[in-house]
Amino acid sequence: MIASRVSPHRRRNAIIINGFAWLVLIALALPAVWIILTAFRSNAEINASPPVWIPREITLEAFGNMFGLNPNLQQRVAVEAYMFNSLFVALTSTVISVAAGTLAGYAFSRFHFRFHTAAFLALMLSRTVPGVALSLPLFLLFTRLGLTNNLFGLSFVYIAVNIPFAIWLMDGFFRQIPRDLTEAAYIDGCGYWSAFRRVDLPLALPGLATAAIFAFLASWNEFQIVSVLARNNASKTFPPGLFTFTEQFTIDWRGMCAMSVLMMIPAIIFVILTQRNLVRGLTFGAIKG
Amino acid sequence: MSTQASTQLKANQESNRNWQIGSRWFPFFLLLPSFVFIIIVTGFPLLYSLYVSFTPYELLKPNSLTFELPKALNNYSRLLNDSVFWKSLGNTVLFLTVTVNLEYFLALGLSQLLAQVTRGQAIMRTMLMIPMMFAPILVGFQFRWFFNSNLGLVNNALVSLGLIGEQTRIAWLVDEPLGMISIIIATIWMNLPVMTIILLAGTLSLPQETYEAADVDGASAWQKFRFITLPLLAPFTYIALTIRSLDVARAFDIVRIMTDGGPARRTELIWTYAGRLAIEDTKFGLGSAMSWITVIISVAFTIYLFRQLVKSRIVE
Amino acid sequence: MRKLTLILLITSLLAILSFGVLASAQDAEPQYAGLDKDLSGINIKMLTIGGGQYEAMYQSLPVFEEATGATVEIVTLLDGFEIDKKLIQDYATGAVDYDVAWNHTSFMSRYVGFVEPLNNYFTEEELAQFSPSIIESATIDGNLQLIPRHADISALHYRTDLYDDPDIQAKYKEATGMDLAVPTTLEEVDAQARFFHDNGYTKYGYGIVGKEEAVTGRFYEFLFASGGNYFDENWEPIFNNEIGVSVAELLRGWYADGIISEDTPNLVWDGDAANFCNGDVPIKLEWYGWYSYFQSPDSCPNVAGKFGLARGFSGFQNEGARPTGWAGAHAFSITSASQNKEAAAQLIKFLTSERIAYEEAQLGFLPVRDDVWNRIIADASASGVPLDQVRLEVARTQITEDFKTPPLIAEWIPFSNLFYPYLQAIMLGDVTAQAGLDAAAEEARQLLADAGYYDE
Repeated sequence: MIASRVSPHRRRNAIIINGFAWLVLIALALPAVWIILTAFRSNAEINASPPVWIPREITLEAFGNMFGLNPNLQQRVAVEAYMFNSLFVALTSTVISVAAGTLAGYAFSRFHFRFHTAAFLALMLSRTVPGVALSLPLFLLFTRLGLTNNLFGLSFVYIAVNIPFAIWLMDGFFRQIPRDLTEAAYIDGCGYWSAFRRVDLPLALPGLATAAIFAFLASWNEFQIVSVLARNNASKTFPPGLFTFTEQFTIDWRGMCAMSVLMMIPAIIFVILTQRNLVRGLTFGAIKG
Repeated sequence: MSTQASTQLKANQESNRNWQIGSRWFPFFLLLPSFVFIIIVTGFPLLYSLYVSFTPYELLKPNSLTFELPKALNNYSRLLNDSVFWKSLGNTVLFLTVTVNLEYFLALGLSQLLAQVTRGQAIMRTMLMIPMMFAPILVGFQFRWFFNSNLGLVNNALVSLGLIGEQTRIAWLVDEPLGMISIIIATIWMNLPVMTIILLAGTLSLPQETYEAADVDGASAWQKFRFITLPLLAPFTYIALTIRSLDVARAFDIVRIMTDGGPARRTELIWTYAGRLAIEDTKFGLGSAMSWITVIISVAFTIYLFRQLVKSRIVE
Repeated sequence: MRKLTLILLITSLLAILSFGVLASAQDAEPQYAGLDKDLSGINIKMLTIGGGQYEAMYQSLPVFEEATGATVEIVTLLDGFEIDKKLIQDYATGAVDYDVAWNHTSFMSRYVGFVEPLNNYFTEEELAQFSPSIIESATIDGNLQLIPRHADISALHYRTDLYDDPDIQAKYKEATGMDLAVPTTLEEVDAQARFFHDNGYTKYGYGIVGKEEAVTGRFYEFLFASGGNYFDENWEPIFNNEIGVSVAELLRGWYADGIISEDTPNLVWDGDAANFCNGDVPIKLEWYGWYSYFQSPDSCPNVAGKFGLARGFSGFQNEGARPTGWAGAHAFSITSASQNKEAAAQLIKFLTSERIAYEEAQLGFLPVRDDVWNRIIADASASGVPLDQVRLEVARTQITEDFKTPPLIAEWIPFSNLFYPYLQAIMLGDVTAQAGLDAAAEEARQLLADAGYYDE
């Protein structure tokens, strides 16, 4: 962060900047606010025209319906299953894809070897495959392997999907770390692995945090692949679960938004926990002098 | 810029460029896990769809999965003669270019703004991530509703703000440039956090000494931005640009639900067209051919961006 | 209000059941079916439609399980279009691990070969309980593809507060010289829609969807109502003849003059119904399934209690004109890959039995069995809301006489996907009606040629 000596001039600037930032962020959050409010509205207000912003009455009906607390409603949404499956798949794929991506990113950033460029491009290109070309053959393959309706199978796919992104990111972050630090570690007698573990990895924490957040959210919200590979409630995640609120003609807005609110909670928790690491200071003073 | 600051900059980058380690098997083991996952998950589908793209395969006719050499390129020639294919290609290029560039400028501005914030940065970063927490399909449904000409929020807000008359109902999802604009808005809204976070994290990890040196020299905020931040952020910029350009999956859901490529193909993108062809029309061979054409184009594009990335690492 | 209606309904139902012998000629209790065989130890898997009211039926599965000793496993529940895509993928890749699958009269043509002919499992007598027009439409090359579960068809919805208003009636008579009555031809619909819109009584004059299979179906409806069709007996496209052009030009005129919503090319069912619900549309064809939604003051305060239902209108007055009646029936089939076909058949008999069908009909779905029709019409007459009964009587007429499926070709969806962008282009004014339809006809011909329809 830019150093700021606290003077009246600076303080005024800070207030303006902070204020403006809040303004922008609130504007950005408006559609989200609408979605969240919709989950708590009464039925009459959902389709009201002109649209109503502040709900006249707050109701938890939509949530009750979702959890099967409404005796009149025949339908029961398997929310616990979706929550468990989503968490399992998202966390597993995040941890492993970021780990694999970090290792690979380190290799690309620090080492020169034959087919360096080709390997990098090959890994990147795996991301160019459109979902539609991916899902059906994958379905074929996984059916033969018996991995459909299987959380491990799904995680496996998500890991592969998230790895290129992690590699790109970590490669970039590792390159920001001056080689002198790593070299100093070698001089001190560290091997490749311990230099990596002790020096480069801690300094690349912002990169790890970024990659983790994106991998988690990508897996959390992914729809195309899971809709093909997971057919029963034992393995479905939240996004296909959202489709239970679309009937042949109507869309149950309240239900969909209620489920989205539910979906947001673990996501927010994950982001809060992880993004603290986005600002770990880089101690460049370590090798000076 | 002062000699002190620029020497610092050059020193960092030079040391990076001259680095060489000769080990062969350490990087190999580092790369192994990634390759295993990717080859299994994308290798087979890629090869399979390549094979299928040379056949007239239709999903509900298992007998059509036959390969005949003389007819192998039929799907490709049909596509290249298909005006809808070209239209969707054009739309896709337009859509990507505008979205990625606009996102970049907005993200750049926003990241710089957030980097300067003195208090509550942690909360702000979390708030920034909010649009990303919604599933793309929900964003699609919701924005389709927002842009509804009769009952949607946008038109209603415009009327209450007095910007349009009571009787005017803008058909956001139908009129010629508006349809494209609407899906671009929805896509940017959902994905702005991605680039912003990357650039923000990059900004926050920039070496302080260079800035301090520049401060000593009396550089203005704009000069610091233009000559220090921007060049140093270049690698992150290209990373972010490439990721977003290839990030086809996220846009597909939004567009399919908001307009499904319509009306009259106005917002038809390669992915909506290929998806419809391959599954709804069950013409999987044709759809695979289309996917491969996009793969080839993406390859070319990625190589181009990669070259830019490498160049940005070497300072002139 | 709803609770009161429900109480009245239940009371009258009990009353009817108690005096069943006097009230009707059939058995007092609606009967289950398919419970007569012992299926112990068999696990029957089912892939079927879900969402909202569709799932009520599955609550009765324990009855079946207890009586037969089988277990029923619902593999997954999906909404209408998702389930079609899922079935395509499963049938194509051979990954079918369920015995009972959803089917639908609009989609059944593409599943031919992947489902078991049901004439082998149902007797003539059993089949006679279902609406003959549906059974007939569902028989392709002598093989019965499905057993219907419930049907839907579109009725003409009109705003009674407008049609019964004497001032408006007078004004209409003045403007056109004709009496304001529920329209019976497309010409009348056009005149009335324009009248209501131009005089500011409603925002729009008519409501129609504008994309995907929805609009292809609605165009089809106007087409065959006017004596036209998409294809002739030899599957040659004929929709670019004068009839087709006149319908397309009608839609174009409506769009250009603001008679239909400017959003129309992007509307599917929910957006279209929302406009009617909001009170912006005076007349339109709409599915019966929306009835409870429109009648509820909670969801549609602007139209609840203010609309009526009538039989579909005829199209342009050409030779062969007939009432509209694009319809579909949700149904069940047995997969060819099933290992438990007998058990699956029993389950289908159960799910389409009089009792289950009656329970579904009470939720608002339209029955496909005569015995169930009789019951719910009798119920409705006791509800206190006259429209409840009128609705069912009109529906029964329509289902019995006007039921028409889309062309029974496996390529219905691919055809629709190539056709509707042209229709949209016509509506938006990008091309003329003739040019657009001609281009679509050429592509359609190519599509069918590729599929072998013109081979000798």
